[in-house]
Amino acid sequence: MTSTAPRQSTGHQQSLRTEILEARSVNLDGFVEEWPEKGLVAMESAFDPAPSVRVEDGRIVELDGKLRDDFDFMDTFIANHAIDVTSAEESNALPSAQVARMLIDPSVSRDEVLAVTRGLTPAKVLDVVKLMNVVEIMQGMQKMRARRTPANQGHSTSARDNPIQVAADAAEGALRGFAELETTLGVLRYAPLVAIALQVGAQVGRGGVLTQCALEEATELELGMRGITAYAETISIYGTESVFIDGDDTPWSKAFLAGAYASRGIKMRFTSGTGSEVQMGNAEGKSMLYLEIRCILMAKGAGVQGLQNGSISCIGVPGAVPGGLRAVAAENLVASMVDLECASGNDQSFSHSAMRRTARAMPQLLPGTDFVCSGYSSVPNADNMFAGSNFDTEDFDDWNTIQRDFQVDGGLRHVREDEILQAREKAARALQAVFAHLDLPPITDDEVVAATYANSSNDYPFRDVLSDLKGAQSVMERGITGLELVKALESSGFHDVAENLLTVLRQRVSGDLLQTSAILTADFVPLSAINDPNDYAGPGTGYRLEGERWEQLKKLRHVTSSTNPETEVG
Amino acid sequence: MTTPTTTAPPERTVTLREIGPARRGTRPDEVVVALSPAFAGHFSKTIVDVPHAEVLRQLMAGIEEQGVTARLIRVRDTADLAAISHIAAKMSGSGISVGILSRGTTMIHQKDLARLSNLELFPQSPLLDAPVFRMIGSNAAQYAKGESPQPVPTRNDQMARPRWQAKAALLHLKEFECIEADRGPVEVEAVFGPGTAG
Amino acid sequence: MTALTRDDYPLSINRPELLHTPTGKPITALTMDAVVSGELSAEDLRISPETLQLQAELAEASGRPQLAGNFRRAAEMTAIPDADVLAMYNALRPRASTGAALAELADRLETTYSAPVCAALVREAAEVYERRDLLARPTGDDD
Repeated sequence: MTSTAPRQSTGHQQSLRTEILEARSVNLDGFVEEWPEKGLVAMESAFDPAPSVRVEDGRIVELDGKLRDDFDFMDTFIANHAIDVTSAEESNALPSAQVARMLIDPSVSRDEVLAVTRGLTPAKVLDVVKLMNVVEIMQGMQKMRARRTPANQGHSTSARDNPIQVAADAAEGALRGFAELETTLGVLRYAPLVAIALQVGAQVGRGGVLTQCALEEATELELGMRGITAYAETISIYGTESVFIDGDDTPWSKAFLAGAYASRGIKMRFTSGTGSEVQMGNAEGKSMLYLEIRCILMAKGAGVQGLQNGSISCIGVPGAVPGGLRAVAAENLVASMVDLECASGNDQSFSHSAMRRTARAMPQLLPGTDFVCSGYSSVPNADNMFAGSNFDTEDFDDWNTIQRDFQVDGGLRHVREDEILQAREKAARALQAVFAHLDLPPITDDEVVAATYANSSNDYPFRDVLSDLKGAQSVMERGITGLELVKALESSGFHDVAENLLTVLRQRVSGDLLQTSAILTADFVPLSAINDPNDYAGPGTGYRLEGERWEQLKKLRHVTSSTNPETEVG
Repeated sequence: MTTPTTTAPPERTVTLREIGPARRGTRPDEVVVALSPAFAGHFSKTIVDVPHAEVLRQLMAGIEEQGVTARLIRVRDTADLAAISHIAAKMSGSGISVGILSRGTTMIHQKDLARLSNLELFPQSPLLDAPVFRMIGSNAAQYAKGESPQPVPTRNDQMARPRWQAKAALLHLKEFECIEADRGPVEVEAVFGPGTAG
Repeated sequence: MTALTRDDYPLSINRPELLHTPTGKPITALTMDAVVSGELSAEDLRISPETLQLQAELAEASGRPQLAGNFRRAAEMTAIPDADVLAMYNALRPRASTGAALAELADRLETTYSAPVCAALVREAAEVYERRDLLARPTGDDD
């Protein structure tokens, strides 16, 4: 049996129309009734606390109806670190409707909103966003997104952990526009080879793309410290004390880890999302969004620059309750309205229905977020080792068309086949050279050819997995760093790729990528909320898809030429 | 496909008759099967409607076809699968147990392993059907005999999340509600009700 | 030197003269020639505590006090070896350390690594862990 088998009929005679509706893919999705007492509710629950705050001697002594002695560790951390004590009482005294209006009023600047939100308690934030419908949430996002220019992140993984595949797909993904590329493994011991492949492939596709390898904390940090990866994001936080402890962490351990990453010059964001607490059975009777707001403020308090949220791997939970996707859109907005970089989900298999999958992304794609997807699968979903994304390689042309239809920038673009083939081949060749230089298991010319034309991991010759794993181990034992990769690329004639990688490595010395929402442009200019601040102030302002970028996005696979309608433009 | 329909023959049912407090077994040729608080009680079938009667029948048949005895207990004070399975392993004469939650999530455990470890875990309850339960029983019995069976092949389905994640959470919460704190595990006997032999 | 403002960002482009490696090389020395000739080691590609303080100034100037605080902790942590950083992180996990062990860690951060901001974070954690029953219990065979 598979979960995608259709439901069986009830045995009663059905109308022909009902039969058609029963067969629709949306009816393969799961939906459940709310259960607010247990926290199985998106954002409208009578069991969430009422906002309150009291400050004495520069210290918050009451938070959302609790006195300091009764604070759990989330309350304590948020009260001590996230909330601006000097403005808290004044900001929380503002009517929630007024704060909500400020979020959507173009005549109120982003900075003016931040002056208020930095003092709000979790329950007050919830009270504000509960007043907003999904269009208002999008309006808020349009203004509150930290970086003016939206971007996108891709997943580049392989069901066989095949490094050549990862390199070729990373090159294609980078060329198509992903500003960040993330990988992870089936067999964890493959990590060093796959992380190297991702880095090399990405720098072939487009210099300056940032890469990461999602692993347990210690190995992830080590690959980062060695300069094999450039950033990290799988640092999970949770909205209740009990679930946080189940995850074997506390806000203080995670805050310490945030410092550790910055101390090595590595960009980092936390991860959280609605539904994780109820999924783990310890929501403490609070709504999913209330608990997520606690996570967001905890991240803010830890001084981490950003957050990946939007339910992430628990999307099936908010996705199944009424108003769930409104709550998911709201959690992205809350991250942005407290001035964090937001990598806004759309990164996990979400629905059997193509219509529902598309709709799910609109609240992020239309207003734009720092990363519309925190993992668009730039490999076929069958190769996606994050358990599948909401979008994959088969959706590239649809995504590009939607960008063109609405004149919105979702971070990707159509790229001509010849350019893609060239990048894929070059990535495979570059990796072949790096492996040879580092005395790793050889990559054959047949594999390079396969990589050039492949779709999925099935299209590649089998690797000798045991040799690869030995090679991976030797990468760790020999202490190979990003610098060795630069040397290998330079000495084997891939000078431009070597320069790209060296420039990325040099960035960690400057620390510029540690600032909020930082990415690297193709010209290696760090672009963050400092030098590219969102200046939306109503119609005609803020980021507009225009000029050269709009010309790029007008291109699709098939567009009939207006000059000569018997041909297509390309 | 095991989704029941009104035209299907009546299902097997099972009730669990309590015999007395569960005890540590002495027979080296037994596997203890530990059932969660709501198994074959508050709930009667797994997340994908496999009747609990069928789950038990298959697990027990899998164990017995290896010449090993199945002994059933119900754990009442926790709905944590690792805890349920580990409690049972410590009571098993062979040191091997199978723990199962109402929604179908299953684990093979061994008494000398750490609680959070296991021999085999089947986390994707929507993908567990009758043949898989039989293989799980069979493997548990082989471990009890000191053999090293091939692990039961695990399945994966990326679309399990959209269909089942929320229902799994709901079932988990309901199972939690059936916990009876401070009540120790009990020995139970499966009494199978009417229905075809399948 | 006057405090940095938002206009100084990105430092790698607008103020490269302020940027040095922990080994004292200017950032402009990180060239391909230097890589190929073997003049550079992995140590040259690390961020220096001074640079993290500069980024903290920028974060402060951009209205991000918590981010600035994180950079100040990070500046202190540059002195701590990789393995010790991970060990300290593990010590802060729930029920991983006794109150005495956390107090000792805070003292060590202050005295060995001149890391008062990190020490304060550890002391705060110890206080909260005690109240929330998240300290390891002292036992005979445990520290």
